[in-house]
Amino acid sequence: MPSELILTENMSDDFTEVKVVGEVDIYTSKQFKEKLYSVLESSGTDLKIDCSELKYIDSTGLGILVGTLKKAKLKGNNVYITGLKDNIKKLFLITGLDKLFFIE
Amino acid sequence: MMENLKDTMIDYFETIELILPFKAEYVSTARLTASSVASKMGFNIEEVEDIKVALSEVCSKLVSRGSKVVDSYRIVFKLFKDKLTIVFCCEDGTLNCVFDNENDSLGIAIMNALMDDVELCTKTEQLLLISKVLKGEKQDAI
Repeated sequence: MPSELILTENMSDDFTEVKVVGEVDIYTSKQFKEKLYSVLESSGTDLKIDCSELKYIDSTGLGILVGTLKKAKLKGNNVYITGLKDNIKKLFLITGLDKLFFIE
Repeated sequence: MMENLKDTMIDYFETIELILPFKAEYVSTARLTASSVASKMGFNIEEVEDIKVALSEVCSKLVSRGSKVVDSYRIVFKLFKDKLTIVFCCEDGTLNCVFDNENDSLGIAIMNALMDDVELCTKTEQLLLISKVLKGEKQDAI
């Protein structure tokens, strides 16, 4: 069964939140990238990525998050990552990405 | 390291093989299989997760590269008494040493951190292998 990924978007005056539900891997990474990049294009606010229901992410997905952060910084915005489960937070620690992102 | 490639049937008591096409939708199948195998061996939940993540990094890389020679790659799970070794095999020699230190730094860092032994380059049909040692008390098989 292929990985499933559901992405929902909520906009407010201060930030745009994208909730990530499911798995980000090579199969779903295109969908993940397109959503995050399109949100960045259409909003001029900081981006919050709610990972409380993110079950799995690989290096492809982490690379997309780094790309998203770079794009956000170019527009003077930040990326906040919230609700990371322990198994995924571990990957941020291993790769040093915990130092790049605001993790809440 | 290389000693692992010389393992004989005497050294491990079970092998499980999975043959997958170079298609992204089947990487999750590899993860599910790894999860099942590792759980049955007695790895705890965190270790099972480590194995799944490391295996998936390899599968993703192989799938992203693909092959013009063959349609599929083979994953061999070698179950030792206290160690799981996962060997990735393919008859396409262009897939040897697929990981690039510069472009795949995140994936390599993840595999090295999560597994006890990572052999990224071999000169055989066995493209690469990753191993995890079963430490401490075994968990009840799920």
